[in-house]
Amino acid sequence: MKRTLAILLAVCMIFVLCACGAEETTPVSESVAEESVSADESSVDLQILMEEDDSMINTYSLLAVNPDANFVDADGNAVADVELNTEGADALINWLLSEEGEELAANYGYDEYGEYLFYGLEGAPVSEAEIPEATDETKEIRISTTTSVNDSGLLGYLLPIFEDEYGYEVEVFSAGTGKAIANAKDGNADLILVHAKAQEEEFVADGFARVVEGMDTERLSFLYNFFVLCGPSADPAGVADCDNVLDAFAAIADGEYKFISRGDMSGTHTKELSLWPEDLGITEDPATFEDYSEWYISSNAGMGVCLTMAEEEGAYVLSDKATFLTFRANDGELEEAA
Amino acid sequence: MSSAFREAIHLILSGNSTLFNIIGVTLRMSLTSSLLALLIGVPLGALLGCSKFPGKKILVILTRTMIGLPPVVCGLLCYLMFCGVGPLRHLHLLYTVNGMIIAQLILITPIVIGLLESFSAGVYPALRDSARGMGFRKGKTVLLLMNECRYSILTTYLLALARALAEVGAVSMVGGAIVHKTNVMTTAIMAYTNMGQFQNAMALGIVLILLALVLTTVVSLMQKEVPQ
Repeated sequence: MKRTLAILLAVCMIFVLCACGAEETTPVSESVAEESVSADESSVDLQILMEEDDSMINTYSLLAVNPDANFVDADGNAVADVELNTEGADALINWLLSEEGEELAANYGYDEYGEYLFYGLEGAPVSEAEIPEATDETKEIRISTTTSVNDSGLLGYLLPIFEDEYGYEVEVFSAGTGKAIANAKDGNADLILVHAKAQEEEFVADGFARVVEGMDTERLSFLYNFFVLCGPSADPAGVADCDNVLDAFAAIADGEYKFISRGDMSGTHTKELSLWPEDLGITEDPATFEDYSEWYISSNAGMGVCLTMAEEEGAYVLSDKATFLTFRANDGELEEAA
Repeated sequence: MSSAFREAIHLILSGNSTLFNIIGVTLRMSLTSSLLALLIGVPLGALLGCSKFPGKKILVILTRTMIGLPPVVCGLLCYLMFCGVGPLRHLHLLYTVNGMIIAQLILITPIVIGLLESFSAGVYPALRDSARGMGFRKGKTVLLLMNECRYSILTTYLLALARALAEVGAVSMVGGAIVHKTNVMTTAIMAYTNMGQFQNAMALGIVLILLALVLTTVVSLMQKEVPQ
């Protein structure tokens, strides 16, 4: 037994020694990384070539899930007693739509990236409802949202403020918009925060959403930002000079320049599909872009992976701005690792 | 890679609370599921290895098939059971650590049963004879068998633990990778990768390997004390 302990101790010592040795060198590498970033901010070649085009507006909406909706199980049988925390969902929605919530959301990210990541939507519903303190039954709120909202860090910034103030605990499930909505249809979420208008309207039409007291509609749009069209700095398709994003997509298709598509029915993918010239007939069905497989790359992957692919291939890619800014902010280290 | 290693060390030493939460959930999940699998699987495996009954071969083949069960399928199955419209929805297991432990049990227990079955089938015939010779009863024979299998049981445990630590398909479906609640090392690595933060993902990967190293070392040292 003594020998065992001795060996274990030795392993720990070696581990700690390695750790300390590495720790000493860390500051040096950090300063190098900082230098390389400040000397040439875009050590990543990928750049925003077009943004703030009206067709690329990206609206985020809140929807409260209706506990009396026609939930069905995997076999299509009706399920009546789905348990949802409607009071908790109302509290969170009322807070996000309050003056405090909207202001916090709209100012998020400016300090970190020097740019606003989200803007408050003009004419968005404003809530003045009083928010009740959490009780044991209403404490846990489950929100299903898209990766772009979660990855931008918006909820990680907002929710602790809400939780501290009223005592709720919010669980965030994040996936592509399609899956985030499916998650709510399976009765796993009290509210959703997504960005794909057509899919949201279908959700409402199917009766899965409910009107929060004091609101006019089920679909509560409150934030927006813009998708950005990114590509290599050389910009062979001349996208940056196009008048609008539809021309830009046409130029990419005409020249058959490589384009990375999410291909996963996320909000970003849905938006991208709507921007291609109609005569190409590109939809989410792989058969529709079989002829374009030379340049149209359907990756079925997350935004970060797509951005990396675009960087490697010198391809164009549609991204939400927040993820692109995070990607660019991390690139110094990324290059070093490669 | 070297920078990722530095980042990993930096992460550990900086006492990042999110990282420690992730490590805590990972340990709670994988240690619980592997120990439970051992408790359930060892008696069943020994029983299967030592007994003879019609249909035993089919049972053995079924167990071996379950060893190859794809984690994603297991996760999907558990998701359909536990989700808000599933038959077991009132247990509130979806997106909880307990739900993840159950999914892992389904994955790991067959490994323990299968390995114990082959180990005990190997030593049992000789052991039975000597036990009979010494006039042992059934209960004592089982204890003797466990004693003989000690080394193998620890090997089995290592395999079960390794699977529990490294598995991502089932836990991401059942756990949902909810931050501060059900996010474990593997799902966190996936999340960072999808965000394009490969540096952080790699750092977490290195932390996971170090964690596996420490756990494996402890079990291996215990095994060293045991005669082969």
